[in-house]
Formats: sequence, C-alpha cells, structure tokens
Amino acid sequence: MSKTWERAVPVYDVPIWTRTFKVLCGLAALGMILVVYREIAGLGPASGMNDAYAWGIWKTFNTMVLTALGSGAFAIGIAAWIFNKSKLHVVMRTAVLSSFLAYAFGLCMLGVDVGRPWNFYWILFPWHWNLHSPLLEVAVCMTFYASIPLFLENIPPVLDFFYGERPDLRESIKKLEKVIVAGFPWVVALAYVLPAMHQSSLGALMLLGGVRVSPLWQTPFLPLLYVWAAAFLGFAFVTMILLLGWLVWNRAIDMEILSELQRICMWLVGVWLVFRVVDLSVRGQILAAFRFNFDAFLFWVEMGVLAVAFFKLRTSVQLQSPRTMFYSAVLTCVGGMLYRFDPTTAAFSPKLEAAYFPSVIEVLVSVGFMSLGILIFIFAAKVLPILPGSNALAREAEAERAKNPVLRFLAPKAGQQQFVTGD
Amino acid sequence: MDITRREVLHQIAVGGAGVAAGGAISAVALTEVAHAEEGGVPPEAVGMLYDATKCIGCQTCVVACTAANGLTPDTRYDALHQTPGDLNNHTKTIIKLYKEVDGKETSFVKQQCMHCLEPACVAACMFGGLKKDATTGIVSWRGKYCVGCRYCQVACPYNVPKFRWEGFNPEIVKCEFCKERLAKGQEPACTTVCPKKAVIFGKREDLLKEAKQRIAANPGKYYEDRVFGEKEAGGTQVFYLSHVPFDKILPEPGDESVPGKYLKWQKRLYSYLVVPAGLYAVLVGSIRKNWKGHEEHMEHEEKETGLRAQL
Repeated sequence: MSKTWERAVPVYDVPIWTRTFKVLCGLAALGMILVVYREIAGLGPASGMNDAYAWGIWKTFNTMVLTALGSGAFAIGIAAWIFNKSKLHVVMRTAVLSSFLAYAFGLCMLGVDVGRPWNFYWILFPWHWNLHSPLLEVAVCMTFYASIPLFLENIPPVLDFFYGERPDLRESIKKLEKVIVAGFPWVVALAYVLPAMHQSSLGALMLLGGVRVSPLWQTPFLPLLYVWAAAFLGFAFVTMILLLGWLVWNRAIDMEILSELQRICMWLVGVWLVFRVVDLSVRGQILAAFRFNFDAFLFWVEMGVLAVAFFKLRTSVQLQSPRTMFYSAVLTCVGGMLYRFDPTTAAFSPKLEAAYFPSVIEVLVSVGFMSLGILIFIFAAKVLPILPGSNALAREAEAERAKNPVLRFLAPKAGQQQFVTGD
Repeated sequence: MDITRREVLHQIAVGGAGVAAGGAISAVALTEVAHAEEGGVPPEAVGMLYDATKCIGCQTCVVACTAANGLTPDTRYDALHQTPGDLNNHTKTIIKLYKEVDGKETSFVKQQCMHCLEPACVAACMFGGLKKDATTGIVSWRGKYCVGCRYCQVACPYNVPKFRWEGFNPEIVKCEFCKERLAKGQEPACTTVCPKKAVIFGKREDLLKEAKQRIAANPGKYYEDRVFGEKEAGGTQVFYLSHVPFDKILPEPGDESVPGKYLKWQKRLYSYLVVPAGLYAVLVGSIRKNWKGHEEHMEHEEKETGLRAQL
C-alpha cells in the first residue's frame, strides 16, 4: 500500500460556491433569524422545553453530544503526541478544525439556550465560581479550551495559507511560527487536560439528575463512560470526514492511516462496551436491561449499534475496505451519540405526566448552527491545507494556486515579490 | 535521539511547578465557596411544619402567597379561577389532593421549596444565583448571578425551582420563606393565614420538637411515626407529618443529599485542582519528549521533498 497521505493539501480543484454550499448558507441564515426570535420572545414560545424537561436539544444535543463528535483533536491528538503514533499527525488538521467548529458552535448554542446570557460575565471572576457545579466546570473548561489551545492549534494552516498567497509576509510568518513552535508542547498538553475534564463533567452533569436518570445510565462512572465515548466518537467522526473527502471530492485515501484510526477506534469501543456491562453488573442493574420498557429498548439499541460497529470496524481493517470503514465509522458515531444523548432526555423522567419533544424552531436553530459549522469546514478545506494528501498533490495545488491565488485582490505588487525571491 | 529518565522527570517537574502555583492560587480562592456548601444546620435555621392531617385544602395559603410575593395569579386554565396545575412561575406554593380512584385514603399536600440543608440547586448553580443563607438557611434566588441555565431544575429532587419561559428576561421562581416579610418582623404569608394552623413557621429545632411531640401524643396517627424532612435528602428546613405514605404525596429522595451522594467523586477529583495539574505536568513532559523526534522528522521531510514543513 503506497503512502498517499504525507501532508495537508487544500481541495483546490473544486468550486466553493456550490449548490450544497448555498443550501447550507440558507439553513444557517434561517437558524440565525430564529435565534433573534428566541431572544425576543423567550424560550417558552421558541422551544418545547418546560419546567420538568428544563433542558432541550440545544444543550443536550448541540452542546453535550456534538462536542463529543468534536473530540477528534483530543483523542487523536493523544494517540499522536502521547502514544507517539506519529503517522496520525497528518490527520490532525482535520481533527482540530472539526473540533474547533463543534466546540465553538456548541458554546454558541449554550449561549442561546440560557435565559440570562448577559450574566455569563461572572466567568471572568474565579472567586464567584462554584467549582462543585459540573456545569461551571463545563462552561469554564470549554470556553478556555476552544478559545486558547484549540484556537492556537488551528493557526498553522492559516499561516500556511498566507505563506503561499503573500510572499511578502513570509519572513514575519516564519518568525511567528518559531514562537508557536516554542510554546506548542505546553499548549497541546492543555488541549488534552481540558477536554478530559469537561468531557467527563458533561457526564457528571447528569449525576445531579439523581434517580430521574434511568439506572441503566445513572452510575458513578458516568463521567468516565462519557469521556471514553468522546474518545471513540472523536476517532470515528474524523475517519468519517476523511472518507467523505474521498467520496465527495475524490481525494486519494491512505489505507495504512485509516486502518490505524479504525484499529484504535475498535479497541476504544470494545473496552467501553465491556466496561459498561461490568458497571451494570457490579451495580446490580443488569436485570433492568431485560425489563420490557422504553429504557431497556434504548439500552439495547445503543449497545447493539456499538457492538455491530465494533465488528464492522474489525472487518473493515481485515478487508481493507474503505466502504466498510465508512459504514463502521458512521455506526460508531450513531451509537456513541445515542449513549451521550439518552440519559439527558430519552432516559430522563422527571415526572410521570411530563413530556418533551423539540419544537420546529428548536430543530431549525440546531440545524442552523450545524450547517454553519459544516459550511465553514467545507470552505476552509477548499482554501486552507486541512485534508491530508500526497506531496505530489501538494505540488499540483501549489502550482495551481500560483496561477490563481485565492487572495487575488490582495496579491502583492511585482516589486515586493522580487524582494522576497532573494531568500 | 535518546532522552534519559532524569530529563523526563526534570521536564515534568518544571511543568508541574508553574501549574502548582496557579493551582494554589485558585485553590485559596475557591476554599471559601467549598465551605459555604458543606451541610449542617445553620445556627438560626428557620422552617415550616406542615401537618397533612390538619389541612382542609382551603388554598388560602396559595392566594396569600401570590399576593404577598407580588405574583400574577395563575388563571391560565379558564381566565376565571386561580387554578395552577403545579408549582410554576406564578405559583410558589400549591395545595394538591391525593385521592386514589376508589379512594378511601385521601390527603391534602402543600408543596413548596424544602430549603434543603445541602441543596442540590445550590450545588448545581454556576455563580451562586441560588444561595443558602449561612444563618437562616433560606435558599434564595439572586438574579444578578443567574445565567438562566436551568440546571437547578434538573438537579432539585423535589421539582421546585420554576422558570419563567416567556420573554427575554426570564427568572427563577421559588419559595423564599417571604424573606421581605421576615425582615419586617412578620411571618410568611402562608403560615399567617392558615385557619387550621396546618402549616406553621418557626425555628427548625423548635418545629422538629413540636413534630415529635405530636407523634408521641398520637400513637399510630402518623405514617411510620416519621417526620419527613428530618433526614430526607440530607435534611430539609420544611417538615411534613402525614397519615398517608409519604411517597403518595411527595418525592421520596432517600436520606442522602443529592450532592453528597452523586458529586462525592467529582469533588475529590477536583479538590485543589491537584489531579488536573498533575496530569498536565505529565502530559507536557511526555509531549516534549516526543516533540524532538517529530521536529527532526519534519526537518528531514522538508529537505527531502522541498515542501515546507507543516506543524
């Protein structure tokens, strides 16, 4: 198997303003308009939430589930930097960008969901923090993570872009890169501690739900199961994006690296499944899974999807089949997302007579923020070196960009160009 | 290139020092918050005692509560009667009737904030929007610090805090023992108006004695001879006496407080941020060790391919 992923290369040969892109822009715009409506009318008219189900999909899905999908930077980063799986470095840019977008918009959704967002400024005064609140921990860690380490990790592709487009800036970019390189290990380590903290605290959120969370989910190990699920979701989601690049944009794929991702993901899923069953057995709740009710049904759907995903992940590596890899990654994402979502809503029963179903506006706002994330990713992948490719492809892209710079309007004057060619 | 064990340890130590300093500062700042949250009965704890056997269900307390707290009466059902379906943002207390369909056994029940000794809502609250008073033990809402996240609603074992769902400036609404009336030397509205003295106000310890006296004086009258609230959810400042099983009229959360039971490990894990700081130090050491190899690899690739190294 030849090595096809050597460095990040922009998807330079595909137009940006496509039909998909326009649809995504439309959905995003609609979502943003509805956010304005929500801010004026209040949460009641805009959502299906009520005093019993006080949390709706904005928090439970966009913040609590989608940031788990955006844990690629955390999970793959740990494999690459801590466990020294050096061949995974080439997919890190895909991971850090998808993570950044998932987190940024997860936080935006949190801001839309809370009733009195103007009081968030207390986050700047640590002596007002209630450190025992899992939500405080989530809010502080996520904001800090997305705005510092995750943001910094996304700067190199942007610098690469300007290095190519603006030869007159090359010297300053090189200087800046030296600074970034010097601080990188410190930043990267922070990028693993913070998600480990808040991804587990997302699980701890539901601990305070107490008996209202079904015993199939309510366990002292909820934080650990949550962060572990985030780890395999991160792997699966990045694999899915990489394979979508292959399906949609005809990018070459590197079976060696994909196999490595799938193999690690498989072990993470396997260990998680075993741990979940052991936890249920030790707590004496395993029989709850065999009752004839909705919670038990949800449990078996989750476990079933992830068990199938586990075996599919294995066969995909054995067969070296990108198609099976794609399906298994999707299955892993679905199973993991269900696990992260269920205890917050479907397996959460605050009162007998209470019910919650997201309103149309809630769904459209949620979709709007997701569309915004996807369209920014698509745009970035076409302009910046994000998705992995071969050195040959990189040379082609460079030659193409030299003829047609993206920043045509910012192209340096002839004199500046001559000055830089000297180095 | 090789790196010795000593160098790794050194790096870990260097990494740890900075973090430890930061951790120490935040730890000092946060100890205060931690203290405020520990359980125990506040010195001047006030409370209420509701005796379901005395209540006649007249709902005078509901009406008086609405008036005393400046709330709009909840007439959403038919625009004619004040008939709230449950506690809500117009209703800080409510009288419900427990009666099975074939019911011989019936009981009224007054619901309101229990003012727990270790409140789950306060443990959940990010910036102290809900705070338990250190002397009186009254749990009250402070809009200045409330973000409107509604975690208190998810956490409260009695489903008490209610949210105003309409409008751009929502609030959390719950019983605060009419603290403005208390400040003026008056009793809460509901205990003042109750014609049967089914609900009475007083110091928590006096009310507990009173409840136990009633049980002693009337053997067999009260369910399990139990004062609900003495131990439930870690103890509350509102007590209940009932002739019907408590789980028919109230949630039965068990004796342990919700934060005490469910956040035990969370608290240990984050106490003084020692664990996160240690983890950070180890990770920095490990990444710096692997960093050298990565850098050399990048330089090598750059020379070989002529393409700029990518971080």
